[in-house]
Amino acid sequence: MGKKTCCTENDPFFIDYPGRIKSIQEAMANEGFDVYLGSRLRTISWTTDAFCPWRSYIVIPREGLPTLFTFVIDASRVADDTWLPEDNVRGYAPLGGQDQITQISDFIKDELKIRKGRLAYETGLSNYTPEGNLSQYEYEMFTAALPGLEFVNAHIIVDRLSLIKDEGTINRFREASRYTDVGHEAVREALVNGGWKGKTETEIAGIAECAMRKAGSEWAWSFTAGNEIASGYRTGYAGGACTPATRRELQPGDSLMVDLHAMYRLGLGDYAYNYLIAPVTDRMRWHARNYIDVVQMCIDNYREGITPLGLASMVMEMAEERGFTDYVVPGFEHGIGMMGDEWRIGLNTGPIKYWTDPNHVYQAGEMLICAVQYACPEEKIGFRYECPILIRENCCELMAEFPLDVEEID
Amino acid sequence: MEDKLKYLSPEWRDEAYRRLSAELDPEKMNYATTSLVSVYHNCPDGKERYFFVSCADGAIGDVSVGEGEPPEAEFSISGDYDVFAKMSRGELGAQAALMSGKLKLKGNMVKALKLSSLADRLNRVIATIPTQF
Repeated sequence: MGKKTCCTENDPFFIDYPGRIKSIQEAMANEGFDVYLGSRLRTISWTTDAFCPWRSYIVIPREGLPTLFTFVIDASRVADDTWLPEDNVRGYAPLGGQDQITQISDFIKDELKIRKGRLAYETGLSNYTPEGNLSQYEYEMFTAALPGLEFVNAHIIVDRLSLIKDEGTINRFREASRYTDVGHEAVREALVNGGWKGKTETEIAGIAECAMRKAGSEWAWSFTAGNEIASGYRTGYAGGACTPATRRELQPGDSLMVDLHAMYRLGLGDYAYNYLIAPVTDRMRWHARNYIDVVQMCIDNYREGITPLGLASMVMEMAEERGFTDYVVPGFEHGIGMMGDEWRIGLNTGPIKYWTDPNHVYQAGEMLICAVQYACPEEKIGFRYECPILIRENCCELMAEFPLDVEEID
Repeated sequence: MEDKLKYLSPEWRDEAYRRLSAELDPEKMNYATTSLVSVYHNCPDGKERYFFVSCADGAIGDVSVGEGEPPEAEFSISGDYDVFAKMSRGELGAQAALMSGKLKLKGNMVKALKLSSLADRLNRVIATIPTQF
């Protein structure tokens, strides 16, 4: 069943997509744009309600519905999933007149009748591979095909509008987090009472994925290889926070990092939990305690008004007092939004362009991933915490219900 | 020997309409409502011509040829006269012409894929017309 038929205002996961488009159009009017050409994955997700893995573009006129352009092999499926009418989803193909540049520029000129004016497009910098900024080649081809239009970088419009999350989006994150809880339960069940013996990282990823899929997860969405599993020395990469599962077999005395990802209608679950496999030394427990205290301090302090730098200063002060600053990555968050929006916090207002502004002041209704990476490479041990959180006025809501712990198993 | 009709002439158009109406009933046309215009650049006399076909609920409607600005259609295929002539003579496939960029298609590609079998049926009937290029 396509989403069109199951998403009404009474649905807890309802998102007012026409309203989102209207808000973009109001911003376009205020800023003098005639048409918006969105190409970032975050923009496509935020406007279409469809997962678009192939290069896609959304063309938004000043009035009326937008039109999505995606690779023809996936266009019918996307048309079934999106809220947009079928005729507003077009497939591009390597045929005369049907390549993406010709099709979109012809659409703007001939169907929207826009030949002069200002076109908003999206460019910038990202550490995130599938960000989707317009490439140099695309820019050159589009500007050549639309000579009467002035191209202006305007991703700020969508960034601004998508900052505060609506209830439907938040509920989708809650549901995706329920899936990661289910995945963690399945992993724990498989590991305890000696179950860990002979298991590999990839197998653990699969156990989690199977359980989460059964629960309804659509995808282990992370581009860092789905469910990230690390064991032994791999948990202790210096500054490391990216651990695609390998064929490494678990060993006695290992630390084990289980970082699961799930997706529910472009809402993203992301929860990391850690184990210590017996025999466990007091030194390992000291590291685990440090890690838990860092996470707890973050959870206790995330609320409206705090900044990334303010929180980092607070946590690193504690780490300094207790002598473990060398093991803590001094950043405790990454951005999150609907599929494709998973790095920068807030808007592009920081001193280093397109990175999180350390002085961004969190507002109620923002979401982020509370992320802690603790690693001691020389002792081959490390832990990771990730959990989607909702910023509230005086606290934060943890989307996942799985406990914060470093669990010892034998 | 059967007399040949001049390609895109009024007589050729009449024959195209007669054959399309006779051979393609609404069921064969999947009860589709659509329109297609082929736009011919660089005709032998230097002019631009078009060939327009529409159908409503599968019934062949307008079939027209003309010079200059083509009528609005759901789909438009444009290219040089020679390319269309080669296709009509069976020397070049439509897919090859599109993939090589010799023909340019305008219109919703997803819908075009759904209707491509209908376009093939139209072309097969039109190809039976004894034609002088």
